Amino acid sequence: MQSIQKNIKNSDLLLEVNNLNVFFDTADGKIQAVKDVNLFINKGECLGIVGESGSGKTQTFFSITGLLSSNGYCNGSAIFKDFDLISASEDKKREYLGKSIGFIFQDPMTSLTPHMKIGEQLSEIATFHDNLSKSEALKRALNVLDIVKLPKSRNLINSYPHELSGGMKQRIMIAISLMCSPELIIADEPTTALDVTTQSEILNIFNDLQKGMGISIVLISHNIGVIAETSDRVMVMKGGKVVEKGSTFDVLTSPKDEYTKHLLSCIPPWLEG
Amino acid sequence: MIKFITKRLIIAIPTLLIIIAFGFIMMRVAPGGPFTNERALPPEIERNIQEAYNLNKPIYEQFFIYIKNLSVGDFGPSFKYKDFTVKELIISGLPVSATLGLSSIFISLILGSFLGIIAAIRKNTYFDYSIMGISLIGICVPSFVMAPILSLFFGLYLGLLPTSGWNGGNIFNLILPITALSLPQIAVISRMMRSSTIEVLNSNFIRTAKSKGLKSSYIIRKHVIRASILPIIEYLAPASAGLMTGSIIVEQIFGLPGIGRYFVVGALQRDYTLVSGVMILYASLLIILILITDILRAYLDPRVKI
Repeated sequence: MQSIQKNIKNSDLLLEVNNLNVFFDTADGKIQAVKDVNLFINKGECLGIVGESGSGKTQTFFSITGLLSSNGYCNGSAIFKDFDLISASEDKKREYLGKSIGFIFQDPMTSLTPHMKIGEQLSEIATFHDNLSKSEALKRALNVLDIVKLPKSRNLINSYPHELSGGMKQRIMIAISLMCSPELIIADEPTTALDVTTQSEILNIFNDLQKGMGISIVLISHNIGVIAETSDRVMVMKGGKVVEKGSTFDVLTSPKDEYTKHLLSCIPPWLEG
Repeated sequence: MIKFITKRLIIAIPTLLIIIAFGFIMMRVAPGGPFTNERALPPEIERNIQEAYNLNKPIYEQFFIYIKNLSVGDFGPSFKYKDFTVKELIISGLPVSATLGLSSIFISLILGSFLGIIAAIRKNTYFDYSIMGISLIGICVPSFVMAPILSLFFGLYLGLLPTSGWNGGNIFNLILPITALSLPQIAVISRMMRSSTIEVLNSNFIRTAKSKGLKSSYIIRKHVIRASILPIIEYLAPASAGLMTGSIIVEQIFGLPGIGRYFVVGALQRDYTLVSGVMILYASLLIILILITDILRAYLDPRVKI
């Protein structure tokens, strides 16, 4: 615990979000999904975001990366290494997306393009951002498969997503986000659709990425167990607002907010400790 | 692949036989016959004619004779277009109808999907509204209205293009009929393409592609089109079979010697062999086109196994 906290103090700021608001135009009028969120992520740190569905945790990060659906818009600032992602133009933002910021989605089953080979889905991001040739990109893809503990095989590169299991697909998603050596990975409920054994394997990969490669990770989850296992700091969201934040240890052992207490009380007692 | 195609073609044989039998019986059950006139023929002549065309034999025997002739590629003589066999009629008309049909399906596919994709990308803009509005008109205005208007405007008033005739397949003679055939198809295809593209654009894998920071044009080309064109491919088989066997209306208005009219004339005049021949042609085309569709679909969507 002490070593982690020292780590946080020494490392510098990677992403700082200030006064972020997200709105959606719906048939019933304007809805605010995220209300005045402030957060920061340091280099090499894992930030956990907890909250129930609809608490705005996903939309916070969709708005930062420009993935909001077409009826959504946001204001505020999200400074990623001196660069404001929110006010930036699409073209400028694209240079960071996939290159410095990797995104991993909740549902691996539908998140890969069904009619493209795994190899192409991995390599296209490197040919696009790093101007690699196709064969160089494929070579890099094979190395990245090793990191996510998939076999370095040509067979896998030449298969289609429907031929893989859910856990394998999620590893491919992680591999895609790693292709251009990102500094930040945003993982939106990466283990929700997976069974428990696969879940822990995936979390181990995240641990390796953070501790071994120094990549900052934002882990969005409704599962406090997952957050407790991986995050250095945690932020609790409800109804679009941040209700509590602090180091994982502090928040989980002595929660101050009623909602956090309520969330924690939902864990069956035999799982604690 | 070859195994799949052979299997499908073998299955096609009984399918065709059933279609032939069905058409054969339906035509003969219909009242009247090819030689029934207002003025009854003298019984002797009638008997002679019946004998010449095997019409005096029991119906199953006629059927077997027909099938036997078919197996050596003989579609029989036309009952009404004397001096012509059905094969000759089809061979002379099919190139005309097929040229028109294939070109118009090709043009509609390219233009229709292109317009549909643009409309989907610019969803709810004036561009989208105008394309969808025009295509609604294209669907609603029938070709027997559109064809004369085109002919009148471009042929007569502007004098740019010939109003009718085949003229040995001269390109200028083809422009107007192909346009008349294509417009409704473009309209249908662009609407289908728009809705399927919108659906694909909202799917999770496109979100992944966006999160990779790829260019929109690249995402459309590599990730979207192959998924969104699938419903169009499905629609293409019946549409092109219909267009290739000719549209009676467009062929009549532009005075083209296609095979569209044989459908109607053959049925009305109880020209048994002609109706059967045209039916076999249409059914075979449809079977082959559906086979091609299935192969295309398996190529476009790796989840489909053939």
